[in-house]
Amino acid sequence: MARLAIEHLRKSYGDVTVVDDVTIDIAEGEFLVLLGPSGCGKTTTLRMVAGFVPPSAGKIAIGPRDVTGLPPWKRNCGLVFQSYALFPHMTVAENVAFGLEMRKTPKADRGPRVAEALRLVQLTGFDTRYPRQLSGGQQQRVALARALAMEPDVLLLDEPLSNLDAKLRQEVRVEIRELQRKLGLTTIMVTHDQEEALTMADRLVVMEGGKVRQIGTQRELYEKPADRFVAGFIGRSAFVDGRIEGDGRFRSKGGLEIACAAATGAGPATLALRPERIAVGSDAEGLANRFSARVEHAAYLGALLDIHVSLSEHDRMLLQIPNRQGFVEPRPGETIAIGWAGDAGLIYPLQS
Amino acid sequence: MSATAPEAVAGARTGLAGALVVPATLFVAIGLIGPIAILFRYSLNKFIPGQFMVDGLVIENYVKFFTDAYYINVLVRTVRVAVICTLVCLILGFPLAYVLARMQSRFKNLMIMLVVLPLFVGNAVRAAGWMTAFGNRGAFNASLTGLGIIDRPIEIMFTENAVLIGIIAVNLPFMVLTLQSVIEGIPRHVEEAAFSLGANPAAMFTRVLWPLALPGILAGTILTFILAMNAYATPVLLGGPKFQMMGPLVYGQFAQQNNWPFGGAISFILMTATIVLTVAAHLVVQRRYR
Repeated sequence: MARLAIEHLRKSYGDVTVVDDVTIDIAEGEFLVLLGPSGCGKTTTLRMVAGFVPPSAGKIAIGPRDVTGLPPWKRNCGLVFQSYALFPHMTVAENVAFGLEMRKTPKADRGPRVAEALRLVQLTGFDTRYPRQLSGGQQQRVALARALAMEPDVLLLDEPLSNLDAKLRQEVRVEIRELQRKLGLTTIMVTHDQEEALTMADRLVVMEGGKVRQIGTQRELYEKPADRFVAGFIGRSAFVDGRIEGDGRFRSKGGLEIACAAATGAGPATLALRPERIAVGSDAEGLANRFSARVEHAAYLGALLDIHVSLSEHDRMLLQIPNRQGFVEPRPGETIAIGWAGDAGLIYPLQS
Repeated sequence: MSATAPEAVAGARTGLAGALVVPATLFVAIGLIGPIAILFRYSLNKFIPGQFMVDGLVIENYVKFFTDAYYINVLVRTVRVAVICTLVCLILGFPLAYVLARMQSRFKNLMIMLVVLPLFVGNAVRAAGWMTAFGNRGAFNASLTGLGIIDRPIEIMFTENAVLIGIIAVNLPFMVLTLQSVIEGIPRHVEEAAFSLGANPAAMFTRVLWPLALPGILAGTILTFILAMNAYATPVLLGGPKFQMMGPLVYGQFAQQNNWPFGGAISFILMTATIVLTVAAHLVVQRRYR
């Protein structure tokens, strides 16, 4: 187990820069998730750490070792792929033993270590099966056991759960996380699934357009998003375009006067509101901002109700209300009272 | 190697699938099995000079082949040439097939066309081309002499080497295409997994790539081996009259000697040798890698 340092990492293909000045420091035993939309550079970053993509610039260090110039087979990174990538011509035990064999571990030691790795992923007794005889979830566990058996310095997970069905995904998610914590494995996982990222990570890195947008814990990312992209990507946000009229005063494009503690100075800006911070009906009474809104669409989601409303011709937003007993969702066309506190909104520069 | 069972052929329930098999089956039955059966019958006939073919049921044609050192020699030479050609095709073809299979460039299809390009030229035409290149005053020797590298021309024409070069040039595309399609089916991630587990390229090749490419290696070697065993134009044109292989020998018995029974027997010996060697080699390979 070791600390992993990525410094000013960059990857360009001709004129196209897919990873741009990425610096991440991962503590020993930390579970870090790289999160972002497809094409954001997260997978390329992971592949550079694994050694499959040579960086255009920057440095990668595992513990005290600078591995930037090392080929993948000398890096000691355990890798788990979305497609499992098991060796189809080898049994489960042979797959798991492969890393030990390559490291010239004495034959006598391999058996117990393979058994231990399979025990960790709860596949004891599957030794002689072939990958094609296993379910997707079992195959992914074998892939994990194979990576763990060689006692890697760093564990790299490339969308490991994307090929599994929803229910299994939740189970394996918890299993991987428990295992990682128990073994104290320094881990990087790449995913585009926000829920997966939020449930598994110690810290998250939000990437977009090859750049790191924000690094932080779930709470930091949700409550203090660094920019409008993060505010829209982590959880949902209602964005109101307009301008700051003075400290604490925001005026929307549709002409609504909004009290907002975060507004300072003056000029064009975007106000971001978390849907669950917006209150409806009698709950809105006494709040700094109160408006009447026309319901455009209401969706019943079980625990939550999603309500799309328009406040004026130019101001639309999404509300999320917990489904309390007896609450009847409003019908499209109805007018409801909504409101939010003066400290609820965050201000970002206006994006054209 | 997918986890799901293969799907049934479309139309399997309606009997349409059965009907789809009929044309090709009929063609093979009439066009291949028929003539072979007739040939086998001929090979058991007697040959009396002047009388062409006399009906009989004798094995003297086979006995004649296996008791004459000349014919045994031709068979051994044919097998040797075929084995060398197949091995060289495999060694030269695998790296090329691998690069083609892993290529993501938009020129990939063009590259594959370039591999197939030699097949656009017929065997006889190509061999004629080699003749002008390999002759004592041909392009190859003229260049080397002109450059002062050699002072006497190297004997290539009408040697086994000329035949080997000629057959390898014809067979290489078959090997490359077969291997390429199989290697393409091996996910890149499987190779990367091996690397990440500490396998260097040599270990990755022997433990992962080679065993997974084995079906393609078997298909490619079968194809090139059969083609080499039955080569005709190349040994005739590049090997010359003294360099006999089985293909030209069969032709000679039929067309020049009019000895159909013996020609039939040689045909059968060639076919049997090809099948037996192919099956034997693959049993050995499969035992080693299973």
